[in-house]
Amino acid sequence: MNVVFQSTYYTLYQANNERCFYIDFGQKTVRMSLCQLLSLRHKLMSIAIENHFDSDLNSHGFEVLMLCNKEHLFVLNTLEILDLKKLVDHGFMEIGISAKTVAIV
Amino acid sequence: MKDIARQSMSIKVESMDLLNGQIKMEAHASATYLAMASWCEQNGFFTSAKFFFKQAEEEREHMMKIFNFLVDTGGNPISPEVTDINHDYSSIVDVFESTLEHEVKVTQSIHNIVKKAREMGDIATERFLDWFVMEQVEEENTIRDILDMIEVTGTEGVGLQMIDNQVANWID
Ligand SMILES: [Fe+2]
Ligand SMILES: [Fe+2]
Repeated sequence: MNVVFQSTYYTLYQANNERCFYIDFGQKTVRMSLCQLLSLRHKLMSIAIENHFDSDLNSHGFEVLMLCNKEHLFVLNTLEILDLKKLVDHGFMEIGISAKTVAIV
Repeated sequence: MKDIARQSMSIKVESMDLLNGQIKMEAHASATYLAMASWCEQNGFFTSAKFFFKQAEEEREHMMKIFNFLVDTGGNPISPEVTDINHDYSSIVDVFESTLEHEVKVTQSIHNIVKKAREMGDIATERFLDWFVMEQVEEENTIRDILDMIEVTGTEGVGLQMIDNQVANWID
């Protein structure tokens, strides 16, 4: 497995022989197809992170993330969400289907 | 590293995001035209109602065209949430004026995606949108023609019913 990108808490790997990706979440490692990675990206983009700074909108500052068609459930705090966003953002640049370049971000 | 991602997906994720936004916009247009059809039915403009029922269907077809393009390119098409549909119109003129306003917004949005796709060098997305660019020219032209007809006919006396009858010319 090749390391695609490593953020503070997480690591994204590409497994060439299996044609898929892995994310090491610390407590467990999750296998993901590109579709599942795209779906994670969409879920992260839909999170209103600004609500974490408003105690009425998100009083505990947690997000519940269900991945891979409800196979995995994660409860992440604000910093972990931001870090995962970073991992996915950079990850997509590295795997070559984002128009953003590493230099810009 | 092997290009696994590129082999499974042939457009950029940023194009995919923009196209998912456009899916939402077409769905919103479809729902808006359905609301207009409802208004027309309730206010006795039965030909115009027919026109908007057909427009609603066409906008859904536009949405599906983009949805299927995202399927074909290996992207992640998102079924849109449609909210904030206006059902209040002050007159049949208001209905058609709002339609033109809406179509112009759609045109601008499509032009924006074409420009962004061009900047990204995403030729597939750019070429895919060719059809939409020309479709918007036609749609805007149809509504402008109807508004011209309304202007010429006038809304006094039997004008409103004459307007409704003439909308039939734009239902094909
Ligand atoms: Fe449309
Ligand atoms: Fe339209």
